Amino acid sequence: MAKTLEFRGIGKSYPGVRALDNVNFKAEGGKVLALMGENGAGKSTLLKILNGDQPATEGEILVDGQVTAFHSPHDAQVAGISVIYQERQLMPSMSVMENLFADSLHTNKFGLVDRNLLYKDALEIINEFGLNIDPAAIVGHLSIANQQMVEVMKAYRRNSDIIAYDEPTAPLSEKEIDLLFKVIEKQKAAGKAIIYVSHRMSEIFEISDEIVVLKDGKHVGTLTTAATNSAELIKMMVGRDIGDTYSSLRRNTPQEEVVLEVKNLSSPKVHNVSFKIHKGEILGLSGLVGAGRTEVARAIFGVDPVTGGEIYLNGKKVEFRHPREAIDAGIALCPEDRKEEGLIMYRSIADNITMPVVSSLRKRSKFIDRGKAAEVAEKAVKTFDIKTPSIFKMVAELSGGNQQKVILGRWTNEMMQTRLLILDEPTKGIDVGTKAEIYQKICDLASEGLAVLFISSELTEVINLSDRIVVMRGGSVSGELPRSEATEENVLTLAMAEEKHAASSGKEAEE
Amino acid sequence: MKSEGNSKIKSLFQNKVFTLLCLWLVMVIVFSIWAAAKNTSFLQISVFKNILNSLVVPGFLTIGAGCLLIAGHLDLSQAAIGAFGSMVLATAIKAWGLPWYVAILLCLLLCCVFGLINGLLVVKLNFPSFIGTLAMASMVKGLMYLFSAMGNNGIAANISFLNSATAFIGSGTVAGIPFCIFLVVIAFIIFGLLMSKTAFGMKVTFLGGNPVAATLAGINASGIIILLFVLSALTGGIGGVIFSSRLSQGSLMALTTSQFTGLTAAILGGISFGGGVGNMGGAFIGLLILNTFQIGMGIVGVNPFWVNVFSGVLLLVALSLDFFAMLRQQKVLVH
Repeated sequence: MAKTLEFRGIGKSYPGVRALDNVNFKAEGGKVLALMGENGAGKSTLLKILNGDQPATEGEILVDGQVTAFHSPHDAQVAGISVIYQERQLMPSMSVMENLFADSLHTNKFGLVDRNLLYKDALEIINEFGLNIDPAAIVGHLSIANQQMVEVMKAYRRNSDIIAYDEPTAPLSEKEIDLLFKVIEKQKAAGKAIIYVSHRMSEIFEISDEIVVLKDGKHVGTLTTAATNSAELIKMMVGRDIGDTYSSLRRNTPQEEVVLEVKNLSSPKVHNVSFKIHKGEILGLSGLVGAGRTEVARAIFGVDPVTGGEIYLNGKKVEFRHPREAIDAGIALCPEDRKEEGLIMYRSIADNITMPVVSSLRKRSKFIDRGKAAEVAEKAVKTFDIKTPSIFKMVAELSGGNQQKVILGRWTNEMMQTRLLILDEPTKGIDVGTKAEIYQKICDLASEGLAVLFISSELTEVINLSDRIVVMRGGSVSGELPRSEATEENVLTLAMAEEKHAASSGKEAEE
Repeated sequence: MKSEGNSKIKSLFQNKVFTLLCLWLVMVIVFSIWAAAKNTSFLQISVFKNILNSLVVPGFLTIGAGCLLIAGHLDLSQAAIGAFGSMVLATAIKAWGLPWYVAILLCLLLCCVFGLINGLLVVKLNFPSFIGTLAMASMVKGLMYLFSAMGNNGIAANISFLNSATAFIGSGTVAGIPFCIFLVVIAFIIFGLLMSKTAFGMKVTFLGGNPVAATLAGINASGIIILLFVLSALTGGIGGVIFSSRLSQGSLMALTTSQFTGLTAAILGGISFGGGVGNMGGAFIGLLILNTFQIGMGIVGVNPFWVNVFSGVLLLVALSLDFFAMLRQQKVLVH
């Protein structure tokens, strides 16, 4: 009873924007159809239409050949469609089981929620996924990766016939990705139609049967996965050949001088971490999600308290109690979550760039020198090629890649004396074309003498960009690899090193 | 490109304040005609003097509430702290015989202490400001009764006092204009410049826009938020001092009608409830609109209970306008 889903002539217009234009394709049961395209190509819009969040302005959706109209997510669910969005739609203060069964809670004969049955059913699904999560745990207390898995299980539980995943692996580590792919394979074998959106090439080739490529809201082609390669895909997505992203990067070798040295650094979630970063060096920090990479960055930057060990900046011992002190000493942090932690979405590009230096932008009258601020912002826009008509445009109106460039511009403009740049997942959710630009900028900054700490979950980019890679596991460093030995296999081995032993003896590996 | 963006921002800024000013003018015209139809008069100096006079006490409250609101917080204890301050002033002068300036300083100092506690509750103990200041309002109200009893042989009651200096602060005039009007206008100008032209004001706005991002960009959130809570309490205290100076009495009912005036005026004047948007100019005109409305309604003889109802409606209308503007903005952004 394989189902099919067909988009026929779908179009969507917003005031001044043509988000989708005459999109036609068919997703068949028992197959995984990958949906690819740069940011802004219309993938998310298409999923919103599929989920009934937004109506299409033109065209129709056919389920099993029947024209079906969706006016709300409820309609879509009734039609057997589940969409798993990039942004998690969970109730953080409720338990895992309540989230899983929110729309169909089991009740006993008194009409009260039957928590025992709920627990049992939730546990069944969790076990089926091979996860180690307590059904009664509060969702907000779970790691981001596990929250994402709860989101996936929620859709799995509904047993929908058509399931769309929007970049499900972004917050997941390799281990969870494996689990997720097993589930997708299972769903595929059960005859379900899967739509899979991702920016990650390797995943697309691993999981999909067919690839639909969108560009600027138009359907530019459908490829059979087995008969294509990433070069062809990228060319189709960006409309030009960007060649091998990594081999064309211009870079130079790191210098002798040590900029940052961390000795036995400990914080609430980090234990005895030690490493050095040299001037002009890009040091990759790899590991599974939850390995403590972000926490190392936060401890260095003065956000999380340091409970042990020492930090040396240019040979001088430093202790920061607030990001301000770290910034004044020449450290900058581009946080993982751009929108929540990096930017003020409803303020201008200029404000977001000059935010750390407002106090230095004073005229003799003590009033803000807006001319100078504009000058700094204009320069950053130019240096990083931020695509905007004006520095006074709100950052919320920019694409993810350009937003990231705004943050880079903030930390590396002429008003800053940044010596160490910490990048936490700087290319998360950014399209291929802009990614290449950002890689080149990172290399340029290193060439100019900046020390870069590069945190990323995407193995290919850490391996290809870093001069050296430090791998973390469970809050500690599990090994260090020079560029020559940096292969996906070596990094992964270190990232999961003792996990196999730990998994059988306890749940330490989960944390 | 630069000048184009610049003028755009300027026109936007002017727009908000300009629209509010227009709204106020329309209100003045409507009341003039309405009053004429009722055989009274609205368009006269004494009415406007009256409006300005009525602006003084809530004006100070609006400054404190507005700055705090721009940073994304609110202070429900501001009026209670002001009422407490007014009682401290009366007790200090009447019962303790302190000189007027010492009494005022003591009163403002105590108010600042409450503001400091508010700030620490929110910053250090992570209380939502709504809850922390709600508890504070209740405590301060109780303390006010205790203070009143202290100055009144154990019985909580209004305390009247005589002092020529405080009488001048409350009701004295300079060149025919009440002295305290100068005070509030100067305060609005100073805080207007502070919020829109200085690095401090920018930081407050950034904090209101996204506290996490602002902190990670090196802005000292804790210090600024605590300072703003102290400012809120201080302006409440100044309001209380002027209130009791006008009556020459520490009143148990002080500022009860102004409980939410500061907040209402700030929101009416375009300061976003979520923080990060707004300025003092708007807040001032918001207050002007609110008070003109109330006094105008009184002159044309509308039942005062209905005036309260309509004040609420006015706020709802202003908020809906903001809401629709936001919706429009979001619609443009979704793509």
